[in-house]
Amino acid sequence: MPKRILRVNMTNLEAKFEDLPEDYAALGGRGMTSTIVAKEVLPTCNPLGIHNKLVLAPGIVTGTKAPSSGRISVGGKSPLTGGIKEANAGTPFSQMLARLRIGAIIVEGKHAGDDYYLLKLTNEGTEFINANKWSNKGLYGVYKDLRKEFGDKVGICGVGIAAELLGGNSGVCFSDPEGLPSRYSGRGGMGAVMASKGLKFIIVNDTGAPGVEIANEEIFSQGIKKLRDALTSHDVTKPGGALNSYGTSVLVNIINEAGGLPQRNFSAGQDDRSEKVSGEAKAEEIKKRGGQRPHFCNPGCIIQCSEVWCKPGGKDPVGVLEYESVWALGPNSGIYNLDDIGELNRACNDLGLDTIEAGDTIAVAMEGGLIEFGDGKGALKLMDEIRRKTPTGKILANGTEITGKVLGVTRIPTVKGQSLPAYDPRAIKGIGVTYATTPMGADHTAGYCIAPEIMGVGGQVDPLSPEKAEVSRNLQLATAAVDATGYCLFIAFAVLDIPEGLQGVVESLNGVLGTNLTVDDVAPIGRSIIDTELEFNKKAGFTPIHDRLPEFFLEEKLPPHNTVFDVPDSDLDSVF
Amino acid sequence: MPIYVKLFGDLRKKIDPHISGTDSVRLEINAPEVDRISDLLKKLNINENEVTHIFVNGRYAGLKKKIQNGETVALFPRNMALLYKWYFTREEDE
Repeated sequence: MPKRILRVNMTNLEAKFEDLPEDYAALGGRGMTSTIVAKEVLPTCNPLGIHNKLVLAPGIVTGTKAPSSGRISVGGKSPLTGGIKEANAGTPFSQMLARLRIGAIIVEGKHAGDDYYLLKLTNEGTEFINANKWSNKGLYGVYKDLRKEFGDKVGICGVGIAAELLGGNSGVCFSDPEGLPSRYSGRGGMGAVMASKGLKFIIVNDTGAPGVEIANEEIFSQGIKKLRDALTSHDVTKPGGALNSYGTSVLVNIINEAGGLPQRNFSAGQDDRSEKVSGEAKAEEIKKRGGQRPHFCNPGCIIQCSEVWCKPGGKDPVGVLEYESVWALGPNSGIYNLDDIGELNRACNDLGLDTIEAGDTIAVAMEGGLIEFGDGKGALKLMDEIRRKTPTGKILANGTEITGKVLGVTRIPTVKGQSLPAYDPRAIKGIGVTYATTPMGADHTAGYCIAPEIMGVGGQVDPLSPEKAEVSRNLQLATAAVDATGYCLFIAFAVLDIPEGLQGVVESLNGVLGTNLTVDDVAPIGRSIIDTELEFNKKAGFTPIHDRLPEFFLEEKLPPHNTVFDVPDSDLDSVF
Repeated sequence: MPIYVKLFGDLRKKIDPHISGTDSVRLEINAPEVDRISDLLKKLNINENEVTHIFVNGRYAGLKKKIQNGETVALFPRNMALLYKWYFTREEDE
C-alpha cells in the first residue's frame, strides 16, 4: 500500500483515501501542510469559514526507528494571525498516522448544526461518531473517557472548550504516551479551525498497520546510527545533559541572567525571583512529588526533555511544564510560584489553550487592571471564565491582542496578532528579527535551529547588536527544513556541532525516500517552504509593515541592559 | 567592593552539597589576584570544563574575560549547556 491522503469532508461526513500526488512524495510535516494549504485554501478566506482547511501531517521519518522523530505539523489559515500557520507537536499520534501510511489528513467543509463529531481511524478504515457527550468538558477527563471507550493503545487528537468558543487562542491537543492531553500544536488558533468544522476529536489506532515504507534500509540504518551517536554524545541532548536533566526550563535562569526573560508584561528583563521557578527548582520538586523526569513525548526519543508535573503525592498529573509555559504563566505574569504555574498550565491543557498565548493574555489582563500582577489565584479564576464561556472568557479565549485592546492596554506584545514567547527582543535582538519576519507571527521556534556556521554564514553574533537579518534568514530556512523531516528541532543542538550527525539526518531521509539529498540541499528545501508561506501571506494581504515589532519595543528601554529594539526596518525587509 | 558571584545548578553543590533546588547561592569574592574569569574559577575551586555559560553583568562571556570589583559573574554547569548560542557571542579579552 502506497502513502495516502485522507480527505475528511465535514459537510457530508465523508472520509476518503486518495493516492498521494507524485509531487508530494518527498514532502512531510511543514513541507506537506504548507504546500497543501497554499494549493487548496483561498488566502482571503475566513479562517473559521467553509473555505479554510485543517491539514495534519507527520514528518518524513516519523513512525520509523529514527530517534526523536515523532513530530506532527498542523496547518491551515490561522484565525489569530490571518496568515498561514504550521503548529508542531511531538506525540505518538503522529507515529501512528505515519505507520498507517497516511501522509496527510485534510479536513474540509463545515458541518451544519451544533453537533460535534469524532473521527475514528484504524487500519480497517474510518468511522464518524457523534461527540456531543465529550464536548463542553475539560480534556483531562475526556481523554481518560476516550481511552476507556477506545482502548489505551489509541492516539488522540482533540480540541477543547476554547476551540468551541472559536477562540484565536485554541490549540490542537495531542495525547502523550500515557494519554494525558499535554502535547500541543498550540499556536495560532488551529483548534478553533477544527471545531469550526464540527470536528472535535480524531482517534487513531495503528494495530495491523503496514509501517513506514523505507526505500533503502541500509542507508537509513547508517543514517540513524550517526544521528543517535551525535544525540547521545552532545552536552545538550545526551542522557544527563541539559534537556534531559532539566527540560526546556533549564533556560529560566540562563535567559534571566542574560537580561532577556520578560517580566510583568515585558516591562523588565530580569528578576531574581525567577530562580524560584527555574528548571533546577522544578526538577527537584518533581522528584519530591512523585512525578516523572525525564519522560518522552513520543516513544523512541533519545533526548527525553519532557516530564510529568503533578501535585504532591503524584496527584493530578499535568504533563510537561515547558520553559515557555513557565515563563508566560509565571514571571511574565509576575507569578513566582510553581504550584500556581502548574495549576495554570493544567487549566490551559484542560481548556485547549496555547500556554504562551494564555500567559501573555493574562499579563495584559493584569496590566489592564482585571487582576493584579502576581495574582495566581486570580489568574485561575480568569481561566474559569473561559470554562464557563462568559463574555469575559470569550474575550480571553481570543488571545493577547484582542484582550489588550478591549482593556485599553497599549503595550501589547504581538506580531501579526500572535503574542511573543519568552525572549525579550530588546535583549536578544536576533530573535526579535525572527519574531518580526517569520510568516507565522511572533514565534521563537521559527528560527532557533541550526547554527549560522553550518549554513555557511560563519561566526556568532552579539545579542545586543542589531545586524541580524542574515542570521535570522538562515535559521528560519533551516528550521523549516527540520520541521518537514519529522525530527524534533532539538536535534539541531547536536547536529550543529557534530557534522556526522547532520550527515546522518540527510542519510535517514534518503533511506526513507530513496533520494540522493546532500547537506547542501537542506537550505533550499527550507527556502521553498518559506517561499510558499510568504506567497500565501502576500495573497492574504500581508505587506512589509506587518513585519514589525510593536512600538513599545522601540521606545521603552528594557532593564537591566536598558536597550531598545533598534534593528532598522530596512534590515527587517532584507530578511526575505 | 567585592566581585559578586552567582552559582547555578550543580555548581551550587560545591558550596553546599545538600542545597535545595530553590535556594540561590550568592558569593562575594575579595581577591586582588582575580583578574579574569579563569582566575575566579581557580579561586572557587571549579574546573574550567565544569562550566558552560558565563555571564558578566548579564553579557555572555568567555574564560579570558577580565573582571573588576563590583561586577557580577554568573556561572552555569556543564549539564545546563542549553542556549541558542548563535544569538550570542562570547566576550573575551586578549
